[in-house]
Amino acid sequence: MDMQSKLTNPYFTKKCYFSSDAWVDLPVGVIVEVPLAQTGEGIAECELLKWFVQEGDEIQEFQPLCEVQSDKATMEITSRYNGRVSEILHHPGEIVKVGETLLKMVVEESSTPTMSADDKDNITFVKSDICDSSHEILLSNKDNIGGALSTPAVRNLAKQYGVNINDIHGTGKDGRVLKEDVLKYITTKGIFREPSASSQETLVEQLPIKEEKSSYTFSVDGWHYEDSTVSLRGFQRSMVKSMTMAAKVPHFHYLEEINCDALVELKAAFQSENSDPQIKHTYLPFLIKSLSMALSKHPSMNSSFNEESHEVILKGCHNIGVAMATPYGLVVPNIKKVQSLSILEVTKELSRLQQLAINNKLSTEDISGGTITLSNIGAIGGKFGSPLLNLPEVAIIAMGRIQKLPRFADDGNVYPASILNVNIGADHRVVDGATVARFCNEWKLLIEKPELLLLHMR
Amino acid sequence: MSTISQARSIGLPLMNIVRFKGAPILHQLYLEEQLLRTSSENWCVINDGTNIPTIVMGISGKPSELLEVRSVLQDQVPVVRRFSGGGTVIVDHGTLFVTFICNKNAVPGVQPYPQPIMSWSSTLYNEVFQGIGHFHLRENDYVFGNRKFGGNAQSITKNRWVHHTSFLWDYEARNMAYLKLPMRTPKYRLARDHEEFVCRMKDFLSREAFIDRTLKAVGTQFSVRPIQSEASSVPHDATFQHSTTMLTKQELEAALPSQSETYELQRF
Repeated sequence: MDMQSKLTNPYFTKKCYFSSDAWVDLPVGVIVEVPLAQTGEGIAECELLKWFVQEGDEIQEFQPLCEVQSDKATMEITSRYNGRVSEILHHPGEIVKVGETLLKMVVEESSTPTMSADDKDNITFVKSDICDSSHEILLSNKDNIGGALSTPAVRNLAKQYGVNINDIHGTGKDGRVLKEDVLKYITTKGIFREPSASSQETLVEQLPIKEEKSSYTFSVDGWHYEDSTVSLRGFQRSMVKSMTMAAKVPHFHYLEEINCDALVELKAAFQSENSDPQIKHTYLPFLIKSLSMALSKHPSMNSSFNEESHEVILKGCHNIGVAMATPYGLVVPNIKKVQSLSILEVTKELSRLQQLAINNKLSTEDISGGTITLSNIGAIGGKFGSPLLNLPEVAIIAMGRIQKLPRFADDGNVYPASILNVNIGADHRVVDGATVARFCNEWKLLIEKPELLLLHMR
Repeated sequence: MSTISQARSIGLPLMNIVRFKGAPILHQLYLEEQLLRTSSENWCVINDGTNIPTIVMGISGKPSELLEVRSVLQDQVPVVRRFSGGGTVIVDHGTLFVTFICNKNAVPGVQPYPQPIMSWSSTLYNEVFQGIGHFHLRENDYVFGNRKFGGNAQSITKNRWVHHTSFLWDYEARNMAYLKLPMRTPKYRLARDHEEFVCRMKDFLSREAFIDRTLKAVGTQFSVRPIQSEASSVPHDATFQHSTTMLTKQELEAALPSQSETYELQRF
């Protein structure tokens, strides 16, 4: 279903002006069409039961708007915005298809579409300076109303050259003015002024800075020395919030080295017996499954701390989160109930989540409910990480690259060993060094001697 | 570490357990909706049979489409429209009810949407029916093999949800005659008649065993707190605005003319 590809977030909103990015500030007085959002798999339509609001009512974010029925469930639909109801499009008793507009709202100034509270708390990031993606973010810009369509970066470029962007013919989608259009305009108009030194170059990019392929050939040496301002939105904005909260938690870090020789052999064995071309065996599923085994013996590592009531909630499910670097940023989807999955099932689920992550199609369920996080930062590089907790979890594990290093065998000879460095970050209000050390010893033992997994197999 | 095992029971979310025997289904539904909308705690309501055979429709149920209205009026069978979605059932002393009313964060990893809640409920009942029959969740029903013995309905609000189930521990075939074959049936039903589609839970285990096992399963995920209440009387607040209603004779009579002969032919 085509709708499926659009609806990654339960409260997807269709806007009636063009934007290349969903996470943008809406200017004053925009009419927003609120659709019946995807409420569950396979549900194509719902019956509208009743409205809680009427035309003209002022609405607050999270306020219930109406009740619908699908199959076996009645559900309240809540608002994503603060605003005012301008038009109600369906009446009680009518069947509404998923994606159809339910009502129109006038949204107030600078109202940012919200993710659900769960989304924000669970999208957190391992502190890392290395990432291989970049993404242009639209700045809030009141000039967006009316006039030529373009991004603020292009507008600023036009400003630097003193040209009116509305004079430029746009060749982009929907008549959008692109950088190339501005540059072409300048050549045809014979403007060869250098960009003014005092202007702000607002080349906006998300972490990290990637070399942008640019046909910008008019400045003298192609470099810019001015400061640029990046206004944080979306994933980055929630990262600020969650990292600030994480910084308040007293962390301690525990480092350990794990010999992965047996794991390397195991992976090779899995791969050689693998008859399914869809499945590719990597180290991660085994590390995840053995982590779950170790958690069964040390449940305090799979818990969450309630500050107000001074309670430790020992989570029943091992929902192991795996940090993933995607073109859209870092996300941490989790694999649910690992204790009840086989390694093959973990492999398949991991692959499913990776596919969704790459295409920015993870659901709320995929990214919430995690109980511990694994960060395979080593996939990109680095020997040690020093991760910050993914609250409200109590532990996070960063794994470096598997390196071939010389080690001493029992007989005193030097041999090449595959060494993995792990750094376990933990909440010192809940666990102490001894607990983490014992937990890590257990995990290390299972990785170094995988045959021990058979002892605990159910 | 004994402190951890103590912490384990303290750390689980609380679930209040209320048990009734033979309570009227209307009062049970009143209580459930009230707990959904006015309480901030988690509840499990168990009713071991209801006193009078009653027809219970979902929130948007239309009598003309779902019931043999003439027989219902003739035999004066009470008809209730409940606050949750879903289909129509006829309940009596052979029906066992189990309802969960939870905060949206009560169960780890379960998001407040129909599928996840339905899925979670099936894992709980998987434990209950461990080694008994071939239990699983099929579309939205609980089945042994491919025969339904439990039907589900839900109501989801901003911060809480209700998942309630009526279990066919036993039923009287003649009572089914009050209900029409529903227009929307689950795919796995295929074209089966009622007798071929459902089964009785009493062929698999006793009422006591079912209730005990259910309470035990709940105890593995929650810290249970039994609430004292008189077995057949359900406390309810007369000032609360209930969405559950009992249909009046007039409402049922109004449904008569729209029942044309074409509906009769459909049954054959």
